[in-house]
Amino acid sequence: MNSNGDAVFSCRDLRVFVGDKAIVKGVDLEVRAGEKHALMGPNGSGKSTLANALMGHPSYRVEGEIRLGGERIDHLPPHERARRGMFLGFQYPVAVPGVSVANFLRAAVSARRGADVPVREFRQQMQAAFAELQVPKDFVSRYLNDGFSGGEKKRLEILQMLMLAPTFALLDETDSGLDIDALKVVAEGVNKAAGPATGVLMVTHYQRILNYMKPDRVHVFMGGRIVRAGGPELAHELEARGYDWIAREVGLEPAAAAAEGSRT
Amino acid sequence: MASTEHREVPAARRPALTGDGVAALSAQVGEGPALFARRRAAAARYATAADPDRVSHLWRFTDPAHLLPETLAAPRAAAAPPSPHAEHAAARVLMLAGMRPLITAGLKALAAGLVVKPLAEAEEELEALEAREPAEGADPGSGLFQALNGAAWNTGLYVGVPPGAILDEPVHVLIDAAGGGTLPRLVVDVGRGAQAVVVEEHTGGDAGSRVVSSSELHAADGARLRHVLVQTWGEGVCGHLTARARAGRDADVLTVFASFGGERSKVELTCDLAGEGARSEMIGVVMGAGRQRFDHHTRHRHLAGRTWSNIDFKAVADAAARSSYTGLIRIEQDARGSEAYQENRNLLLSDRSRADSIPELEILNQDVSCSHGATVAPVDPEQVFYLQSRGLDPDEALRLVVRGFLEKTFGRLPGDLRERLEDLVGARLAALQGRAS
Repeated sequence: MNSNGDAVFSCRDLRVFVGDKAIVKGVDLEVRAGEKHALMGPNGSGKSTLANALMGHPSYRVEGEIRLGGERIDHLPPHERARRGMFLGFQYPVAVPGVSVANFLRAAVSARRGADVPVREFRQQMQAAFAELQVPKDFVSRYLNDGFSGGEKKRLEILQMLMLAPTFALLDETDSGLDIDALKVVAEGVNKAAGPATGVLMVTHYQRILNYMKPDRVHVFMGGRIVRAGGPELAHELEARGYDWIAREVGLEPAAAAAEGSRT
Repeated sequence: MASTEHREVPAARRPALTGDGVAALSAQVGEGPALFARRRAAAARYATAADPDRVSHLWRFTDPAHLLPETLAAPRAAAAPPSPHAEHAAARVLMLAGMRPLITAGLKALAAGLVVKPLAEAEEELEALEAREPAEGADPGSGLFQALNGAAWNTGLYVGVPPGAILDEPVHVLIDAAGGGTLPRLVVDVGRGAQAVVVEEHTGGDAGSRVVSSSELHAADGARLRHVLVQTWGEGVCGHLTARARAGRDADVLTVFASFGGERSKVELTCDLAGEGARSEMIGVVMGAGRQRFDHHTRHRHLAGRTWSNIDFKAVADAAARSSYTGLIRIEQDARGSEAYQENRNLLLSDRSRADSIPELEILNQDVSCSHGATVAPVDPEQVFYLQSRGLDPDEALRLVVRGFLEKTFGRLPGDLRERLEDLVGARLAALQGRAS
């Protein structure tokens, strides 16, 4: 059944539409357990659209195949994807006022497991994750992402990732808006998450975080397609030279490379 | 000058009340001549009361015809259910139309001076109360319903807490809507410096049941009264619930209202801040589903200086349910240095649900601090997506969002009450299903 070997995630000829407009125009990707990939692209290239569509956001129409551990999931609603081990770290985590971080985490961990987590066990797990990411204890009683600074939200995303133990973690610009200390914490979290059973895809605009998380593969995403792939050295080249040269090489106007995306 | 085309309750549709009918109701509750005289006076007002004016905000959203019982005949007394026990309560009372209230009071509360008795037997207490606090003018909005209840009440209760007495457990009054017309009348008198909690819970009934209730609550100077009005009627019940409170000097009144059941209900809550330094807070929660209609009205009248009031009302409407709210804050000329706040937030869980919110301020003194806010909004789909991406199915996600929506309001409630209301909300939320896809 599993034609991808030990691939934890793959997509084939993935197309994403908003109405009739194609934002993602045929993407093939494969991430294996233990691997860290980076998907890099200029602002507006459609990276966030790709990330949200992979999680099953209802605003998008998707064609092509998405597999998680070999199983087709493109027809499944977001919660079924999550329960099967997919995780999306949001670029802009949504506030849910009145819902405490602790209650939310317990509901999420229970959903991922398919059974209620005993209170005591949950508390221990939560405390361990908090300590690991140096998240202040008072987070537990705060309302989910409500009044959180950008850095606090991103830390909480990483904390969720560690507690939910995904097999495939997709991180959408989790590095943006972070100071250097927070960036290191996030990178450490990503490195921890990418264990023997888990693969990570970091979607990012900057090379900065890649200094700390050392990706195995780098994909350059422009105009709705992956236009180049390579090892970590590709990220350094992008950092040094920007995106325009690739755009020219692949025959895209630099402006066009970014023009098609919906969100930055 | 109500024009006739807006009169939705033609006189013919009002349940008839003859002189004999009034006498029969009076005999059934067993009241003395003084109360009978009051009843007849109310019957005269009922006969001449104008129809509710559908043009005014107060009656814009509800046709009063839906709330009136078909007949006001003295109900047949039901077989007496077992008396309630008084565990964890100062007293427990069960009220049914046409039946003497079943009352069980705790020894500790009785020793503290608590008086709980059928209203028909409280003639002296009512006279003493009236001597102390002159009766108000007729309530302009609900004149018809006030008069109706006064003339045809068929189950009544008096609760008196003597000056200085402190009840640490609630007086719990359960009012069952079984039968065609339940007209409960409740008078609560909390004396100077006394403290009491009165839970008025309307429950039971079916599609044929109508309820027209009236509660009058007095918090004397320095008294502390918590009044909890919970409505968990059975499917199809329609009714009109009124609670009018009066807070004396430095008195502190908390009104908690929670409406969950029935088909159509209108709730009118008034608190008069009559003494300097009086405080009144109203905290309300409504959860509607199916085709339920809720219509809530609150009114704070600041009659004296340095008075304070606050309203926090949250409504959640699912399916084709609709919640309407009108709230009036009136600050009289003499109410210098007063503060009044009002907030109504409505969460819509479906495309077909609706909510209306109309706050009104009438401020006759400029040396005051007032604010009001109202929102009507659907659930943010990005919140649901976020929660779904963490493994929660759409029903679970919605439940969490709703609990979050109510959280800050619940946070204002005393612990035991909060637990009880959370259970009721939980039961309503459990019925939210069918979104998982």
